[in-house]
Amino acid sequence: MTPDKITDRISDVNISGPGGAPPAGDPVRQTVAGTARSGGTGGGARALRAKRFGKIWPNVTALLLSLLFIFPVYWMFASSLKPRGDILTRDPVFFFIPTLENYTRAIEVDLFWTYVRNSLVVTLGAVFLALLVALAAGFAIARMKFRGRRGMVLVVMMAQMAPWEVLIIVMYLNARDLEMLNSILTLTLIYFVMALPFTLWTLRGFIAAVPRELEEAAMIDGCTRTQAFFRVIFPLLAPGLMATSIFGFIMAWNEFPMVLVLNKSPEASTLPLWLASFQTQFGNDWGATMAASMLVTLPVLILFLILQRRVTGGMSAGAVKG
Amino acid sequence: MKRKLIAATGVAAMVASVAACGSGEGGSDGGSADSITVWLMQGSAPDEWLDELNSAFEEEHDVKVNVEIQEWNGIQERVTTALSEDGTVDVLEVGNTQTPAFADSTGLADLTDIRGDLGYDDWYQSTLATVEFDGALYAAPWYTANRAVIYDKDVWAEAGAEVPTTREEWVEALQLIEDNTEFEPIYMPGQNFYVFAGFVWDEGGDFAVEDGDAWAGALNTPEGRAAMEFYAELQSFSDSPTDNDEASPQQATEVIPQSQVATWIGLPWQAEAAIEALEEAGRDADYGYFPIPGKTADTLGSVFLGGSNLAVAERAGDKELAQEWLRMATSAEWMTKFAEATPMLPNQEAALPETEPGSFVEVMGETAEYGDFFPLAPGWANVEVVPNPIKEMMTAALDGADYESAATTADAEITERINRD
Amino acid sequence: MSAETPDVVAPPDRKRGGKGLGTRLLPYLLIAPALIALGVVLGGALFRNVLISLQEFGRRQLISRTTEWTGLDNYSEVLTNERFWSTLLRTFVFMAANVVLIMVIGTLCGLLLMRLGKRMRLVFSISLVLAWAMPIIPSTTVFRWIFDTQFGLMNWLMRTLGFSGYEQHNWFDSGFSTLTIASLLIVWMSVPFVALNLYAGLTTVSGEIYEAARMDGASAWRIFWSIVLPIMKPFFLITTFLEIIWVFKAFAQIYALNGGGPNRSSETLPVMAFVEGMGQQQYGVAAAISVLTLLILMVAMSFYFRLILKQEKEQS
Repeated sequence: MTPDKITDRISDVNISGPGGAPPAGDPVRQTVAGTARSGGTGGGARALRAKRFGKIWPNVTALLLSLLFIFPVYWMFASSLKPRGDILTRDPVFFFIPTLENYTRAIEVDLFWTYVRNSLVVTLGAVFLALLVALAAGFAIARMKFRGRRGMVLVVMMAQMAPWEVLIIVMYLNARDLEMLNSILTLTLIYFVMALPFTLWTLRGFIAAVPRELEEAAMIDGCTRTQAFFRVIFPLLAPGLMATSIFGFIMAWNEFPMVLVLNKSPEASTLPLWLASFQTQFGNDWGATMAASMLVTLPVLILFLILQRRVTGGMSAGAVKG
Repeated sequence: MKRKLIAATGVAAMVASVAACGSGEGGSDGGSADSITVWLMQGSAPDEWLDELNSAFEEEHDVKVNVEIQEWNGIQERVTTALSEDGTVDVLEVGNTQTPAFADSTGLADLTDIRGDLGYDDWYQSTLATVEFDGALYAAPWYTANRAVIYDKDVWAEAGAEVPTTREEWVEALQLIEDNTEFEPIYMPGQNFYVFAGFVWDEGGDFAVEDGDAWAGALNTPEGRAAMEFYAELQSFSDSPTDNDEASPQQATEVIPQSQVATWIGLPWQAEAAIEALEEAGRDADYGYFPIPGKTADTLGSVFLGGSNLAVAERAGDKELAQEWLRMATSAEWMTKFAEATPMLPNQEAALPETEPGSFVEVMGETAEYGDFFPLAPGWANVEVVPNPIKEMMTAALDGADYESAATTADAEITERINRD
Repeated sequence: MSAETPDVVAPPDRKRGGKGLGTRLLPYLLIAPALIALGVVLGGALFRNVLISLQEFGRRQLISRTTEWTGLDNYSEVLTNERFWSTLLRTFVFMAANVVLIMVIGTLCGLLLMRLGKRMRLVFSISLVLAWAMPIIPSTTVFRWIFDTQFGLMNWLMRTLGFSGYEQHNWFDSGFSTLTIASLLIVWMSVPFVALNLYAGLTTVSGEIYEAARMDGASAWRIFWSIVLPIMKPFFLITTFLEIIWVFKAFAQIYALNGGGPNRSSETLPVMAFVEGMGQQQYGVAAAISVLTLLILMVAMSFYFRLILKQEKEQS
């Protein structure tokens, strides 16, 4: 990166964004300047300083908070690159020669790619199923009147309270008696149901938030109700779909206790089991544990970055059509 | 939208196909006699030994041996549920103090009829108590290991300390190190209840006593108090906190390499790991080993004889093959090879390799006679589960709480847990 | 999804004579998959959980596949255990403190996201997502490292800053301090959910409303109070509801830090259910505790149910 690109970036960070808390004396000007985004339309020096401050503090706060939130993640990342002796020390090691050894050790495990495939299939399967089923039910609850609607709302709320951690043993017993152990399909189904109440609830909220007039207008324009749904409501649901699918993804992707007892065959194992395998009675391989954790966290980040773009795209599309 | 739908159905199809092959394999796996499944714990068996054993077995019986290495995380649920499934596991490694629990819960096959074939008479007498339950045989002993004192020869020489033969001499030696060197005389985590157990047995006490058909915690006794006092005396030489055990942080690989420790108490593989870690950190480690001293010079300190047994699952897919594998693995021939490749004690004297004088294995052999076990009740496994009442008691006592009240609390908890089956 | 229904043109609330059967069935068809999935998988499990809570169900019964009915023994065992009641109280206090912290900090972070420019927003949301996505094993491990007695970063930091007494300070030496660290962990991993969802929700609200309000000279506080809060009321209702449930159920965060210790003084109900039940394979007892927990939670949340149902009515 060239130096002027850097300054460019820094100034962009500082200036962009709508203004902060408007100083009591000059709210309107503040807002206008904030929306104008150029930062050059300010009035007197005092106002300018106040405005600068108003723009800087959200960024500074966000930066500090970012550091705070990211620190444990950074520490995991740093540990994954450290040689064994530098990971857990009396005085923390901040500077070290990074090594990829931990990653090699973590990936070299037998059947690693089977775990990756299983995890992907289970997680994506569960998320897609949950989105599909929740979209249908959420639409019905948010937009239709029918007997039992409130009952359904109650069911979803109660389902939200399900103590899954304690239900592991009964889930296991049910699966065992139905001869559905060591099955990726069983696991997908369970994760789907675990994600469903939340997904349904959130999507219902997002659907309800879309003004009914938009839909009616589309139908007056000759759309069928189904078309109206996909052309008008669906694009506006993008943020909701993002939030819920990330939720479902993280939940299913990291789930450990259920798969531990349900799938004992190595061919049907998933990544969280692999992640836990570097802590043994004979010593903990923290380097490999942290490397594995990094590898497990990465897809979520990628998913988020992809969805992030989609979301803004979907939103503007929705706004134009609206 | 169409594209998304296609993606969705694609995933669904993939799910179905993977599931189909997954469950198909899982279902037929155990039941057929063309393979057996062996569960071993992470780190137990050396790879080469295992490979050699399995190819010999496969050649002889024309079946495949699937070894599935199990992790420690969540092992209890995993083993219990596996034992309730048909054909999931044929042979499994079970911790020796856990064996009664699984035998009692009908999870393990009764091996009494074939005990002659298994070489019952050759096994170390001391280990028999862990493999038998209610007069029947449920497992074969595999290996054991016990703790010894590991000391840095140079530091001890510098301090003018000599290898002790009694507890008193041991304490004197530690005092010399404290006075004459910069080193921490002994690293002694506050919750090493395996070491504490040895002291309790030295006094003639135990953690629980059988009273009729029920067990009762027995720490609030003069024996328990005396043991705790000695533990506290040793611990006062250590910089360690009082609320950690030897595995958190790992004493061998995490604490020792970063500390100046003259003495510690550990297991053979811990000594190996510590030496490796010290060398990696650029320090030399000239370690010597001696048995935990007894109260008098004519006896050694009692030690917990930790180890593993091999058992056949009651719901094994093919019990006969499973028994055959177990017989082979624990036979004198294969135990000899095992003992050559690991620092553990094999299940019989005949398999014991030549030991170097002064080596850890030799010390272990000496101490094995003084080996002892926690109460072999089916409910003992419950006592060791976090939060372990014994560990809580040790921390409390070391932090200055009244021993009697701490021990009474622990006893109540032990009594409650040990009588659950 | 049933696309070819005949009555697709009519908006739902428009009264029209002679609705077709298909239209009347449509909502039921739409909710059927969700209802069936929940009923079979979750309902089946809950039902069996109740059955098991009425049995002596441990290692032996699990392995031998036998059934031993014991009536309400498990329940009376739990209810007469003093520890259950003190733990219940502790759980509620812990839950309340955490939920308040999560909601306040989460809301502030969500509002902050709205204020930021594109890049800083991305940076902040990535750090939030990472905190959220970090699997439980490394996150509890790293938190334990931070507060470790011998190797802890916190002790190092305090020493470096010149505070004395942090040579080997034990951050887990009481139930309160252990739960404080558990709170830190839980708040850290829960805030991203609230913040990101609030942000996602706010973006569906037209930005013009804020602009208009600002033009009218409304203060930030005023804007939050009279615009954001009313619009996002359903969001706050449901998120608080969810967080209450999630914190109430939090297990691994507390258990992994210090095993519910020292001396079981940082046990919450789920930890106790694990220690007394799962850990010692007393599945019947664990099931009884979970049924009781569920009932207590439902009673405690009943006002919430009503609130949300009322909200539901207003919307339709």
